[in-house]
Amino acid sequence: MKIAGSYTLPLPQERAYYLLQDPAMLAKCMPGCEGLEPIGENEYRMKMKMALAGMSGLFDGKVRTTEQNPLSSFKLIVEGSGKIGFMKGEGTLVLAPVDGGTSVAYGGDVQVGGTIAAVGQRLIDGTTKMLIKRFFDKLAQEAAAQTEPRP
Amino acid sequence: MIPQTFEYTSPATLQEALQLIAGGERKILAGGMSLIPMMKLRLALPEHVVDLSRVPGLNGISEAGSSVKIGAMTTHHGVESSPLIRAKCPLLAEAASQIGDIQVRNMGTIGGSVAHADPAADYPAALVALEARVHLVSAGGERTVAASDFFLEAFTTAIEPGEIVLDVEVPVEDKSEGYRYEKVPHPASGFAVVGVAVRVKKTGGKVTMARIGVTGMSSRAFRARAAEALLESGADVAKAAAAVGEGEEANADLYASSAYRRHLAQVYAARAIAAALSRAS
Amino acid sequence: MATTITKPETLVGKRIRRREDPRLITGTATYVDDVKIPGMQYACIVRSPHAAAKIKGLNAKAALDHPGVAAVFTGADIKDLGPVPCGASLPGLRVPHHHLLAQDRVYFLGHPVAVVVATDRYIARDAADLVEVDYEPLDAVADPEKALAPGAPAVHPEWPDNIAFTYHQDGGDIAQAFREADVVVKQRITSQRLIPTAMETRGVVADWHSGDRALTLYTSTQIPHLLRTLVAGILGMRENHLRVIAPEVGGAFGSKLNVYAEEALMAHISMRLNKPVKWIESRRENFLCTIHGRGHVDYYELAAKRDGTMLGLKLKLIQDLGAYHQLLTPAIPTLSVIMMPGLYKCKSISADIVGVFTNAVPTDAYRGAGRPEATHGIERMVDILAAELKMDPAELRLKNFVQPAEFPYATATGLTYDSGNYAAPLQKALDQVEYRKLRQEQSNARAQGKLMGIGMSTYGELCAAGPSPALPVGGWEGATVKVEPTGKVTVLTGISPHGQGEETSFAQIVGDELGVDIDDVVVLHGDTTLVQYGIGTFGSRGLSVGGTALYFALQELKAKVKKFGAHMLASNDVTLSGGTCRDERSGKSVSFAEIATAAYRGIQLPPNTQPGLVATYFWEPPNFTFPFGAHMVVTEVDRETGAIDIRRYIAVDDCGNIINPLIVDGQVHGGVAQGLGQALWEEAVYDDNGQLLTGELTDYAIPKAHFMPFIESSHTTTPSPVNPLGVKGIGEAGTIGCSPAVVNSVVDALSTLGVRHIDMPLTPEKIWKLIQGGQA
Repeated sequence: MKIAGSYTLPLPQERAYYLLQDPAMLAKCMPGCEGLEPIGENEYRMKMKMALAGMSGLFDGKVRTTEQNPLSSFKLIVEGSGKIGFMKGEGTLVLAPVDGGTSVAYGGDVQVGGTIAAVGQRLIDGTTKMLIKRFFDKLAQEAAAQTEPRP
Repeated sequence: MIPQTFEYTSPATLQEALQLIAGGERKILAGGMSLIPMMKLRLALPEHVVDLSRVPGLNGISEAGSSVKIGAMTTHHGVESSPLIRAKCPLLAEAASQIGDIQVRNMGTIGGSVAHADPAADYPAALVALEARVHLVSAGGERTVAASDFFLEAFTTAIEPGEIVLDVEVPVEDKSEGYRYEKVPHPASGFAVVGVAVRVKKTGGKVTMARIGVTGMSSRAFRARAAEALLESGADVAKAAAAVGEGEEANADLYASSAYRRHLAQVYAARAIAAALSRAS
Repeated sequence: MATTITKPETLVGKRIRRREDPRLITGTATYVDDVKIPGMQYACIVRSPHAAAKIKGLNAKAALDHPGVAAVFTGADIKDLGPVPCGASLPGLRVPHHHLLAQDRVYFLGHPVAVVVATDRYIARDAADLVEVDYEPLDAVADPEKALAPGAPAVHPEWPDNIAFTYHQDGGDIAQAFREADVVVKQRITSQRLIPTAMETRGVVADWHSGDRALTLYTSTQIPHLLRTLVAGILGMRENHLRVIAPEVGGAFGSKLNVYAEEALMAHISMRLNKPVKWIESRRENFLCTIHGRGHVDYYELAAKRDGTMLGLKLKLIQDLGAYHQLLTPAIPTLSVIMMPGLYKCKSISADIVGVFTNAVPTDAYRGAGRPEATHGIERMVDILAAELKMDPAELRLKNFVQPAEFPYATATGLTYDSGNYAAPLQKALDQVEYRKLRQEQSNARAQGKLMGIGMSTYGELCAAGPSPALPVGGWEGATVKVEPTGKVTVLTGISPHGQGEETSFAQIVGDELGVDIDDVVVLHGDTTLVQYGIGTFGSRGLSVGGTALYFALQELKAKVKKFGAHMLASNDVTLSGGTCRDERSGKSVSFAEIATAAYRGIQLPPNTQPGLVATYFWEPPNFTFPFGAHMVVTEVDRETGAIDIRRYIAVDDCGNIINPLIVDGQVHGGVAQGLGQALWEEAVYDDNGQLLTGELTDYAIPKAHFMPFIESSHTTTPSPVNPLGVKGIGEAGTIGCSPAVVNSVVDALSTLGVRHIDMPLTPEKIWKLIQGGQA
């Protein structure tokens, strides 16, 4: 399945870029992510807990960033598998300054297998979009929290 | 098609049910039309299921002032065939009559449907158009949430852990209102590829009130407020319908691309608005 | 004594309600899952979640340690058993070794990897999740055209081109036909993969009796006898130690005309554990692992004269075979080739099949098996030619039909059509819709911007399989008629009905032939110990071959009855009619029941006559039968949404003589429903990784009762000369006639927008896009 979209982060481009490279930040913002553990250069093992629609699944996965073009683009590879199925997503994120922040345009391919692929057809597209949006929403929120002066 | 082993409890009182779910980990079973298939496919793996079917007072339809209260465990068939609902909020009966198939309507419940919040379910479109309220209860007390604040995202609602849906309260429709629920059912699942619920009032040919709820198109049921405003400001049906889905991202699946889905929502909105107008007096 | 001879009223030709229905609709029938045997174990199969992968390791320890688990079987346990059999042979056919369980590699999604056996089905299912399989996923290919492209992943590494076979057939002089042609039309036409979706999924109970060294296998099959021979072969056991019982079978549509790994696996497991074992397929498994149908990409070229005379037809057929050959997989597309000229006098043909391996469940026979694809092709091509020549499609058909005086008619593909009057059903359908008036209505509708379509198909069918030389197994059928001492009649038939209603139609034939009450006849089938060998039910052969065997057995039996009757009446000239044997000269008579009693009492035996009243007949058909018909569909397309409304559906079928019109109606209705399924809704979709995206009934749309249009069904009757009943077969006709009529109608509706062809299924979005394109 092809995915494409964009999100505007209310952050300067440099900050947006480095936050997106930061494993601690990724771990915080990826929906259901229960922590990242480095296993190689820019590569992390991840455990995810998904709870949606009564569906609950633990996924073991990997996150890797590659083909970095500092400040302007990089490639993100996420894969995970659990009892209910497996997924692999590969996408390029392109950052560009826009009014009010940085636009992050993403495009790539998501492969889903197992039971989810077989019975979840009508929901995969919407759910993927929703999870991507949740990720960026959380990222924007976390970034804002970081910059707010601590009391 | 055999679920994972799970513990099953069927509490006899609401109090007991609320205590059981207070921890938030237990899964509530209402009609089971979504949960049971997901469990059989092992997509849902709850360790403990709390069945509400024996809890008294959750099933039934009653008039309360200017609204009708529908107990959470009322079946779709119960709603579809209720003389009270047919008389007082016929849009809801019309939507209920188009849910799934006869077997699903005999088992599925309004509380289960709203709590599950499938983005292609039929009820949510009607409930946001009817400006209904969802009444929630937990061990800590009760609260009421407007339908348009209730459906947040796909399968995500305003329900907090430990809460259950007590009933859905639907304001009585004005006798002069016109209404219509129009739906494109998916040929396999029967879910709404798109579904549009419309209420209108008119005075001397001028639309004075329009409410449009849309399901199936995006990640949640929503009010097409731009289209409502256009109708209320005298725009024609085609123009108003063309504004349905503005600002919403349309879903895609094997059956309908996002462009086609958006188009269907607009065509069906136009048809539903026209039909509702023809019913308004 | 004066006697009045009145012609007895016949049962044949009457709308008699099916005698099998009460048990089916009251839930009292016995299906495989109703078989319960003390001590029975339950099996759950671990299946690959990948379409292509290496198995790097398999650890069943946790599953074996799970309380209640009796055993776990893996590829290593069964590697010395025979493969899942392929019954078809073609020159140069590549046959991958199809182990009962995967060895070191999986080839399609759902490939069986291990079997967990436990004391109940819930434990078995739980424990299946505990089997750890370490897969190394490989690139997969599920689209046959992509599989043929250079550099495509190899489904079987030993055959990197993914080609299982190529097959060529020609007839006449195709080069000359194309040289002489004024016009040549070309079109790529697909016939998408379909999932048969029988209401009852597959299921097996295997029950080994170690003392007798005998195994009873209950399985939901169309071919109990063939299955016995083949499963005995896989297991290396003596065939007569294996008893196969097909209990009630809840639909099959060709999907149970097969021998599956699970049948041999359960047999093997029962023997290994010395316990009965049951496996019931889930709907998910049914979608993943029971054969699919169709799966064609066809490239057609039709050459014709300007006046519409068809000269030659070329076909390049790409068949999606899936990862393995099931029983008849590679043979199915050859049926499309032999039926490619349809009902037309097309003297020259040329066909090339490329059978392609893909990482998908095998395709095989599904209602019509090769003939729906062929009919769809030729009937679409005729319409495309009509559009090209600006001729009326009905007129073009009438011009090219084989004429009634030309039968038996030898086709360019080597068949001999038995009998036909092809214009008759078309004319009847045209009259019924008031065709001229309807075309006028269409032109008025078009003037108002409406998209109204009129489409037809005139299909030909090949049924009653068939002469044994034409089949990979015997094509004959057997029947035994036993008259019991009380005069009640028991029929044992080698066919294996599973919805075709032969318990009723055969009883009608017996009732008429022997003059007994229909309720005194019992028709038994589907048990290899009870019934003499038979071939089975498929290819619309039940009545036309099995019924004919019964008819001949009845003639032999009647001769013996008359011999007894004559002896009892001390006559040498008796008649048998209405259940009475009579000497017309003396006026004396003896009843059928009295004769039966005497035959078993054994003290009034005619000279040189054995006691008892039993006759068995094995009938070898001299030819196939060739039913035909015309389906006509009137549609209106919603310009805004692309939705299709079927305004009228007219089916005029000619299946020869009709034994029971009610059953024939049912077959037409069911057939049309499945044809509409293919035309409008159904499609098995694999993604590029070989994941089946339509993996459940939530995404795979089979027709539902309320989707169905009213079917105006009627018949013309052209008896077949191939069998004495004059019957041809109707099981698949509805499906075969339907899809091209629907597509032709919708293409006709959109023809004003320049649309010439649409591939199935005709989903609203596809139509909407064409309308958008046409308007742009």
